[in-house]
Amino acid sequence: MVAAFLASSPAPEPFDVLACDLARYQAARILGYARLCRARGIDVATVTNAVDVPPVPTDAFKMTRVATFPPEETRITFRTSGTTIGTRGEHAMRDVATYDAAAVAFGRHWLARDFGKPAPVVVLGPPPSHSADSSLVHMCEAFVRAFGAPAPAESTYLVDGDGVLDLAAFDERVAIALARAEPMLVLGTSFAFVHFVDAVGKASFDLPHGSRVMQTGGYKGRSREVPPAVLRADLARVFALDERAIVGEYGMTELSSQFYERTLFDEASPLGVYAEPPWARVVPVDPDTLVAVPHGSVGIAKIIDLMNVDSAVAVLTQDQVRRVGPVNSGGFELLGRAPGAPARGCSIAIDELLGRTGG
Amino acid sequence: MVRTAADRIADVRRLLLAARTLLEQRAELVQAIVDSTGLSTEGVELALERYVELEATDEELSRLVACAGDVSRVAVVLSANVFVGALRALALGRAASDDVVVRPSRRDPAFARALVGAANALGDTHLRIDEQLDVAGVEAGEIHVYGRDETIVDVRARARAGVHVRGHGSGMGIALVSAAADLSHAARALADDVVVFDQRGCLSPRIALVIGDEPRAAALGDALHAELERLGATVPRGDVPKDERAASGRYVATMTYACRVLVGSQHAIGIAPPGAPLVLPPPYRHVHVAACASLADGQRLLAPVASAVVSVGSDDLDAARALAPPWARLSALGWMQRPPLDGPVDGREAKLR
Repeated sequence: MVAAFLASSPAPEPFDVLACDLARYQAARILGYARLCRARGIDVATVTNAVDVPPVPTDAFKMTRVATFPPEETRITFRTSGTTIGTRGEHAMRDVATYDAAAVAFGRHWLARDFGKPAPVVVLGPPPSHSADSSLVHMCEAFVRAFGAPAPAESTYLVDGDGVLDLAAFDERVAIALARAEPMLVLGTSFAFVHFVDAVGKASFDLPHGSRVMQTGGYKGRSREVPPAVLRADLARVFALDERAIVGEYGMTELSSQFYERTLFDEASPLGVYAEPPWARVVPVDPDTLVAVPHGSVGIAKIIDLMNVDSAVAVLTQDQVRRVGPVNSGGFELLGRAPGAPARGCSIAIDELLGRTGG
Repeated sequence: MVRTAADRIADVRRLLLAARTLLEQRAELVQAIVDSTGLSTEGVELALERYVELEATDEELSRLVACAGDVSRVAVVLSANVFVGALRALALGRAASDDVVVRPSRRDPAFARALVGAANALGDTHLRIDEQLDVAGVEAGEIHVYGRDETIVDVRARARAGVHVRGHGSGMGIALVSAAADLSHAARALADDVVVFDQRGCLSPRIALVIGDEPRAAALGDALHAELERLGATVPRGDVPKDERAASGRYVATMTYACRVLVGSQHAIGIAPPGAPLVLPPPYRHVHVAACASLADGQRLLAPVASAVVSVGSDDLDAARALAPPWARLSALGWMQRPPLDGPVDGREAKLR
């Protein structure tokens, strides 16, 4: 499917067929998933629509192993950065080739398709050696390898093991890129960019013409929280870029696919609308019934990810989304975490307390 | 005029008498509470009948008076959680001061309003309601604020310099079932703790740790399942908000995938897989049951949520004492929601001061 995407060819098999086949494969190998399907009243032997595949809540990744293969075959385990009660979700993989191929293909499409040659890529994050279990760091490393011009690690990963941002190294990379008129790709998390903006203050760090920034993720208490539109404006100002060159990425440890704002290459696409790769779909569902909501309505994201071959082809998140644009070719808006019920009592609010303080 | 401890105890006793009077004439009040809380009528009746702390000893009230302090004025800002909690909040305020102003919860004002009215009717004019009370306008004394932690932070930010804010925030209860416990008895008592207030209180048990292996935890789950089903027939669960129904579905799906879940007509019990980290089930009669090989294992499991634990109920109070954070209230199972009237239910602020 990734190869077909790279060749701009039609998918070799319909999405629904692949999704349902994967559901059957996973139900046959994971007792918990078979239980979940039965509890939902879904017979995976006969399911034909991807939207009907029962989703696995992301919480399950914190409670138990979500994998079709035995632990001894695990090659890499990605872990979430923090959860409501300090536990971390785990996503085990026995082969990252699928993950890497899909991530690089879709990342290139929305971040780097116009790079005629390897470009200066910097990551406002730690080197992979310091965060070997972070899927985001792994993805950034894959992007550095795929799109990046050769550069030492200390000039590429600009946050050290103590979380200190190396502004001098960044300055040096920018100076070289400016001298060579090479557009840069800067990758980082929202909280890393907030720290960067705070460190720079009112100064600017003009990037070469054609540069772009990929920013992703929430804050989890690691910096002050900044509304997305404000952060986008701050980054555009600091880097002297158009706001459309600040590209949002949406992904999570429990998935193998990512989603991007189209702003860099699609002039008609509004800010805040994310595109899906052909191998993943985001379906807003009613949080209570898990039934897909009408097009344009807000629901929580049920994500069908064909790259989750060995884990969960359908994942239920807690993020609110809304589909926009044409039904078959539009995208989705990311609206943040689902709000708590208004009539919350003092024991109920503890979820929020722990959510704020959890690792 | 100097108020002695005896004066303060007498004032609190008069408040308890007002509460008793209120309960004797509660027909209209019950419906108002049902409407505002979403609890079932039976749930409100149960709470009023058994969980209003009317019986306090002099020793308990002495402790309450001692921890209340002595201030010129107390502003009590109430939240919509456990409606009977207004009595303890007012008792603390009244013990502390001869000038107590109460801002009831906007969503759940009925019990607090009625209680202040009953106290006034008994001649206590030192308590009054101010629905529009602005905490920024409190010039002296203390503000006692109950509710979400964001609310407490907000009140602290808005309070004037020199006005002390006592915050009573979020929390939860933990049940500990010892290795020696009779599981049937434990389940029956724990079900009582779960059903009242539909787990909306900060003393409500949300997690049950069972010393023993996974089959023993599952056996406790089975027994609790039967008890909650039985109790649900006489004390139905109230309205569950849509978002909490979603949280319930999510928890049930997670536990179905991870290990086992017992879904009743008005409750759900998740049995954790061996060694798995704790997850917090939603309120409205959901209990997460986890086996612990030992008390030390229980402490390890509980560590990530220990800061939120305000109550531990157990058949073995020595074991509970060893497990519980130092501020937590300890009680027998079945008594977690009936702490003596000897101070705030949440001891964290007192311990941290």
